[in-house]
Amino acid sequence: MNRKIRVLIAKPGLDGHDRGALVISQALRDHGMEVIYTGLRQSPDQIAQAAIQEDVDIVGLSSLSGAHRSLFPKIVDTLKKYNAADIPVFGGGVIPPEDIPYLEEKGIKKIFTPGSSTDEVAKYIRRLVDPDKSESVKPPEKIAHIGIAVHHIEQALPFYTDTLGLSLKDVEEVQSEGVKVAFLPIGETQIELLEPLNEDSPIYKFIEKKGEGIHHIAFEVSDIKDRLKNYREDGVPLLNEEPKKGAHNADVAFLHPKASHGVLYELCQHGGEKS
Amino acid sequence: MGSTYNEHKKKWEEQTKKAIERFPERKDTFETSSHIGIDRLYSGEINEKYVENIGFPGQYPYTRGIQPTMYRSRFWTMRQYAGFGSAQETNERFRYLLEQGQTGLSVAFDLPTQIGYDSDDPMAEGEVGKVGVAIDSLADMETLFDQIPLDKVSTSMTINAPASVLLCMYIAVGEKQGVPKEKLTGTIQNDILKEYIARGTYIFPPKPSMRLITDIFGYCQEYLPKFNTISISGYHIREAGSTAVQEVAFTIANGLAYVDAAIESGLKVDQFAPRLAFFFNAHNQFFEEAAKFRAARRVWAKIMKEHYKAEDPKSWKLRFHTQTGGSTLTAQQPDNNIVRVALQALSAVMGGTQSLHTNSRDEALALPTEESARIALRTQQIIANESGVADTVDPLAGSYYVEELTDKIEEQVNQYLEQIKDMGGAVQAVEEGYMQREIHHAAYETQKKIESGEEVIVGMNQYKIDEEVNQELLRVDEALEKAQVQKTESLRNNRDQARVEQALNRIKEAAQDQTDNLMPHILEAVKAYATVGEICHTLRREFGEYIAR
Repeated sequence: MNRKIRVLIAKPGLDGHDRGALVISQALRDHGMEVIYTGLRQSPDQIAQAAIQEDVDIVGLSSLSGAHRSLFPKIVDTLKKYNAADIPVFGGGVIPPEDIPYLEEKGIKKIFTPGSSTDEVAKYIRRLVDPDKSESVKPPEKIAHIGIAVHHIEQALPFYTDTLGLSLKDVEEVQSEGVKVAFLPIGETQIELLEPLNEDSPIYKFIEKKGEGIHHIAFEVSDIKDRLKNYREDGVPLLNEEPKKGAHNADVAFLHPKASHGVLYELCQHGGEKS
Repeated sequence: MGSTYNEHKKKWEEQTKKAIERFPERKDTFETSSHIGIDRLYSGEINEKYVENIGFPGQYPYTRGIQPTMYRSRFWTMRQYAGFGSAQETNERFRYLLEQGQTGLSVAFDLPTQIGYDSDDPMAEGEVGKVGVAIDSLADMETLFDQIPLDKVSTSMTINAPASVLLCMYIAVGEKQGVPKEKLTGTIQNDILKEYIARGTYIFPPKPSMRLITDIFGYCQEYLPKFNTISISGYHIREAGSTAVQEVAFTIANGLAYVDAAIESGLKVDQFAPRLAFFFNAHNQFFEEAAKFRAARRVWAKIMKEHYKAEDPKSWKLRFHTQTGGSTLTAQQPDNNIVRVALQALSAVMGGTQSLHTNSRDEALALPTEESARIALRTQQIIANESGVADTVDPLAGSYYVEELTDKIEEQVNQYLEQIKDMGGAVQAVEEGYMQREIHHAAYETQKKIESGEEVIVGMNQYKIDEEVNQELLRVDEALEKAQVQKTESLRNNRDQARVEQALNRIKEAAQDQTDNLMPHILEAVKAYATVGEICHTLRREFGEYIAR
């Protein structure tokens, strides 16, 4: 299957401001998609019918008059009524942030608010509609390290070096995180011991709450910035939206444990920024 | 040459004397903080070009403003657009504003009213009372102006396709209050061409729409001599993404189409041209905006005098309202918008606007709250009272940069006007989608520049912060739609139905007869409590509906 992604851009309701709808239509065409723009004043029924007749992969709605709360869900419902619930619907325009959860609950996949770039929208559509063909999801390269929270590195070290026979590569203080870390290579990965430097350190709080033990697992990646952006667009909960500096001057960022069923994962890119 | 200059100067001095008798200046003497006296007018090197192109304020071609003393006597009118929800809620807001000393009202209507649907029409669902007040029948209009004496206020109504219907309702409310038509003052927007180009609240195709407009011109010329019959609007063209030059060019092209249509309908230019008003946008680039307003005045004056041979100087003067650019506001860090609005408002004042609406900081998110609306008004008051920019006439005149920009904008506007003329005029150009395409190209180019970072929008593509958007926003109560629907349904059951049908029938007949003026028939229907939707549906059946390509 090598057909272009087909998008219906629609203006439900009566408002006549279609600058946004026109600009997004043009931008998606420039991204190689086929875009059908309905023109102004389309009823939910007309939009759903057009989506089905034009056999589109996705429907984008634009509203600036405040009617989105009643009209957007109606279009999702009408698609359902016509057995076309598989056509995803996204929206944009003047939409107060607190309306977004309501709209998402009503089945609108995503709301783009003023200031979203057209590139973001195009990328979102590509990933949603055609997840295989779009830059297919690249797995992390390896486990960079396994982080273990300890009260004192000095006290924990003998187990790793003497009992297990691993060798200590280096010890470093990461001030921004309030931790002292020790690395012990094992196969293609490493054990990272983390010792809190002060009471504000997340490691201090972790040990307070849960005691010593496995704190996080870090994945080695080579595209940390793009990856974070993709995750963000997919709604993956993140602790860091932008990479920050970690040990060995690597770029790092943490995903929220609720994204991964309770495990704290870190993305980690060594050797500086590849952009 | 020197003598022409002296003649003009003498004339200006006489004009000034007269003007001051009517509207004394705000102070006896104006001075800076260092006690440097501020003259009414400064001019630099005087040559022929100066007299011809720049001249004196209050004198042709009005580059420096349409009044001899400008804001030395009276500030511009601070006119904030308002209206939401039900007629009763809006009436309460209006009466509050009038108690606060405001003399002009500006009515925003909801979209169903603007497109000629009643609140109980299926097309109106979700839109009732959202962006303005819902008016279905004269009963709603009576509520809207309850206890507001129409002979004491001037009312500006942002209404286009059904402008005749709303104007007739206004006349009917006046009659009920005992105010004769002749005493009514105000403005209707009534500019349909820009609806096709940019704003989207059209109903009928261009030709019958133009007839509705010239019917209003003709009727008002006779019965409502103090009413501004149109506000030719570049504002929405600019919001749709045009450049400053396109804004002025397409607006003036539309203006000329109305002038031509009115002349064709048998009116003389000086009968209606003095009542034409304009409405522009104040955007981000400060000097270009100020120059734009100066250039627009000059272009209009020259065409009206030289091409249309208008003799009344009032026909030459381009009077305009300005609103700051809504699309320049960002949803991110919304307080930054206060600063944007202040700079834009300043450019409008430097450009000599007659009235001004300053946007509220939260308009990229929702309708403005009372607090935001107050800051917006205070912004104008600070410019007027504290900055000193209003103490001398057209202070940017003579700046090499501003004069050059003014000349260049005039030149490029004239090129567009020639091109549109060659296409057969603005109506033709609109039907062919020419202006729409030009604007769309400009809008897309801007979007790309913003996304590439070539154009910096502070807080949006640079200087970003992590922020919780957690502002108090104004919401329209969703129960209002139901109440309004019920009100209109009960109106339909409690009026003289035969009288309504008779009146609608007469509108139908008049629509078929080009030589008849629709206004008196619409007025009759309105008085019989026919609704906006019923009157517009009657006309839809005769005129057809416009469908954008």
